[in-house]
Amino acid sequence: MSWRFADQRVRQSLPLGASQRAAVGQRVRAGEVVANGTTFGEPVRLLGARRLGVAPVDLPQVMRVPPGAELERGAIIARTGRRFARALSAPFDGRIVHVRANGDLEFAPVIDRWSVRAALDGVVMESTDWAITIEGAAWAIQGVVAYGPDAVGELTLAVDGRADELAPSRIDVRLRDRILIGGGRSAAEAIARAHACGVAGIVTGAVPAAGLRTLFGDEVSARGAAPVADTPTVLCLLGFGTSQLPAEVFSPFLPLVGARAAIHAASARLFVFASSGVMAVPTIAPTLALAPDWGAVMPIEGSASPAHEVTFTSEVVANALETAVGTVPTGNLRTLEPV
Amino acid sequence: MTVATATGLVATVDVAHEGSAKRIGPRTDAADLRVWTGTPLRLALVVGRENADRAAASAAALGACADPDAVLIVAGSRDQNGVIDVVEALRAATAGRPKPPVVLIASDERTRARIAPSLAPLALEAIPGPTAALAREGIVARLRGMRRPAGDIVLRDEAVESAARAVAAADMRDTLVLDVSGASTSLALATPTGAVIALHSHLGVGTNADRVVARAGLDHVRRWVPRAVDGPALLERVFNRARWPDAVPATTLTLALEMALAREAVAHTLRDAERSGISVAPFRAARAIVCTGRIARFPRAAQCAIVAIDALETRGTTCLSREAPDALIAAGAIASRGSADIAGRIEPLAIAMTLWPRRAMTLTVSDATGTIEQRITRGAFLLMPTTGRVDLRVGGSAETASADALALGVIVDAERLPALARWHSALTALSSEGLV
Repeated sequence: MSWRFADQRVRQSLPLGASQRAAVGQRVRAGEVVANGTTFGEPVRLLGARRLGVAPVDLPQVMRVPPGAELERGAIIARTGRRFARALSAPFDGRIVHVRANGDLEFAPVIDRWSVRAALDGVVMESTDWAITIEGAAWAIQGVVAYGPDAVGELTLAVDGRADELAPSRIDVRLRDRILIGGGRSAAEAIARAHACGVAGIVTGAVPAAGLRTLFGDEVSARGAAPVADTPTVLCLLGFGTSQLPAEVFSPFLPLVGARAAIHAASARLFVFASSGVMAVPTIAPTLALAPDWGAVMPIEGSASPAHEVTFTSEVVANALETAVGTVPTGNLRTLEPV
Repeated sequence: MTVATATGLVATVDVAHEGSAKRIGPRTDAADLRVWTGTPLRLALVVGRENADRAAASAAALGACADPDAVLIVAGSRDQNGVIDVVEALRAATAGRPKPPVVLIASDERTRARIAPSLAPLALEAIPGPTAALAREGIVARLRGMRRPAGDIVLRDEAVESAARAVAAADMRDTLVLDVSGASTSLALATPTGAVIALHSHLGVGTNADRVVARAGLDHVRRWVPRAVDGPALLERVFNRARWPDAVPATTLTLALEMALAREAVAHTLRDAERSGISVAPFRAARAIVCTGRIARFPRAAQCAIVAIDALETRGTTCLSREAPDALIAAGAIASRGSADIAGRIEPLAIAMTLWPRRAMTLTVSDATGTIEQRITRGAFLLMPTTGRVDLRVGGSAETASADALALGVIVDAERLPALARWHSALTALSSEGLV
């Protein structure tokens, strides 16, 4: 998908155990914490209603703290208000995870804390324990896939041309907290160096798939990688292997350099927070071709003429287009429409 | 929904591929049925076991932040406590979700009554226990209904099973339909009486090609490509293919890669079944195999045959055939809602004989050009091209086979695991262009 300035919508899933989250209608900026919570350890079961001598349905009335509350060891969870009081207290520092149907409680220690930061400047449209949805206007471009956590930073050009590969020698600690525009290809070495230098994220045409395995582990797929702590953020705009960014994709980066930007990894989008008038939307939707050996993605430039049915070297017969790079099956062509 | 067209003609079916659809039938304006892989269904299986590690199960359910679309609980009276623990964990993990899961419970009434309070406020549906075939079919039908977003949609796995049933009934012999598409792999073995054992997986040669590599490993895929390809380059091709729906294998190398992915997708589907305790021997020994999906659309008939034989590791004598592009899947879709005519939708390819003879034997092949006797010894590997109707007899045994107009002929494999190059050259499976 190509560049466009429009209202964008981002849904950010929250892990289990949310403690606080932004309210609906709240205005947020990309990078701000919109929710935080805790990661639970193995829960223990506390006798609740049975210990207090109340029916399970009456337990909420005698609870001093709501389910989900974080408590210190010894804090009262529930207490009957009779003369000979019975009380239930926290056996250790932790949170009430769940109230069971029989009135028992699941109480778990807190082993870690997490926070989720907004990936878009805008207004919170929906806020639940499971997800926060934010809506706001921004320049956006859709990539094929993104790896790593969401990233926010100033957009910085790190290559000279759209076909260039991101060179490790051009990356240093001065680029800390920036989002780098990495040209047609960014190899694992450059991405790893950028991460070590504190770079927030990299936007690039293609990444070598084997390099992704080096960075994100062998379980990495063409759809993403399992979340692991301390990994770089990479947004692939076109595919894997090698590529060359089309002029219609690369040129708009130039007026946007210096603007705040965010990579939303789940939806593989780059948002740039600049005014709508900073540039004109490219009028031509670029066309991409998958290389005959499937090892690269290249833009089709110049005119193309239909060649109707063609028998390829594999003996597959398919409709094709005559282009500057040769005869390409129409199935291996794709037009990048605006987001 | 029953398919009945106003004109009395056969129904028109749209068979969805990765990013497009092919229409099969007389209508041009719209289709009566659509074959699609369906929406993904996240299913949580809670099967009671008295000695289960309940704490670990609860922690797993909570830690995984489970968000199932459906929960299937199978519990006996002795499993109550363990099941309640897991169900409570699931309720905690799904409470307040915008779309609560559908809970299906197979248990006796007393057990159900004990589990039900732990599930509130989730709605609960009682279903029969999966001990009888009919009950299992009912459960599968209910779950498939949840994957179908519209009434005119037939799930691809459903169409494959119906196609197998229809072919087995028409030919009066056990038939295996082997379907490999971009996103899924299915093996449906049907008997003439209508019984079906089916295996389905999310491994494919297109959008799910990266899953095949993740499961099988790069080297297992690479071993099937009859040319040196370095691992990183192969991985790039697989990843690009996975993100490029309906990409065309324009070169011999990419076609060989697709064939390699298909072999591993089928092999791993069988391996998964074996691990689940399902006997795969009947799949390997099926008397008739019909290939559908991507493997049926390989340019050469030999490519389809080689993939099916390698992936299934066939045993004994098998009649191999393939569908006309999408025709059998469309017929299967119609058969799932009524009756379908499968005539003319299958192209016979070969009679494949996989054997390991103790001593030399004679094979007699009769076709339109006459009768040929071929001596077979261990290590023999050959293709005998035929013309017209073929009858085959194995000397010294009662084994016979016959078929109409085979595209390839009779394939004899008396060598366990033939070398790939020998395979390819014997069947002229791949054009040498781009491979040397």
